[in-house]
Amino acid sequence: MAKNMKIKAKLKGDIINAKVVAKHDMLTYDQAKAKGKEANFITHITAKVGDAVVYDVSTSQFWSKNPQFKFKFKGAAKGDELAITWTDLLGNTTTESKKIK
Amino acid sequence: MERRKFLGLGVMALVALPATISAISSIDFRATKPDAWTAHKVDEAIKALFGDITPVEQGIELGLPSVASSGAAVPLTIKSEIDAKTVAIFQDMNPESATAVFNVPENGIVDYFMKIKLKATDENGGKGVVTAVIEGRDGKFYIGKKTLDVAKGGCEG
Repeated sequence: MAKNMKIKAKLKGDIINAKVVAKHDMLTYDQAKAKGKEANFITHITAKVGDAVVYDVSTSQFWSKNPQFKFKFKGAAKGDELAITWTDLLGNTTTESKKIK
Repeated sequence: MERRKFLGLGVMALVALPATISAISSIDFRATKPDAWTAHKVDEAIKALFGDITPVEQGIELGLPSVASSGAAVPLTIKSEIDAKTVAIFQDMNPESATAVFNVPENGIVDYFMKIKLKATDENGGKGVVTAVIEGRDGKFYIGKKTLDVAKGGCEG
């Protein structure tokens, strides 16, 4: 499986700390114009444990290249799978998951 | 045209979701509030996203460096104890204002970190402002602001 993300999820007390780095150029409209390329950036990120959405964000071109993000949530246990999905402007979508430690 | 088509598909996909999981489903604010993402001013973006609101300035903690040496990856943290439904982040340095809009799950924790790109602030008189707005589950709106300097822009290169 292509490694498009680096995911870490750790249970501390009853809170899961998630840390993610997604591999994406995050080319803004200005940057794309300067480089003669097509703008493309992640437009949405969702994280789920089973069917429950635990993180859900609509994003912009202003997230950094290879965006790094962190979030916290409750209601999952050690060994549960945290699945993260991103979609970009061109419609590419990637899902990768990691067991909560 | 391509983008419009794609967004249209997204709306259809949302409609097609069974109603039973609506409480825990995802919201694509780029599809539901397209004008919020093209607004060039923070006020306009807030209005496009939330309508005419009068938020109270309390309850939001924005973590940002006061001086960012490079705008390519500025660390931003937002924390709040407010029982939030939506958390939105804007800034007045880049061509468009909207930066991120979080749909907070029920009983969700508002403690988000992300790295963002910001243009250098010297053209704007030396300061930029990041603004966060929270829509609470109580129906009220809250606002928080933080001023910073960005020495070298992160959107150009």
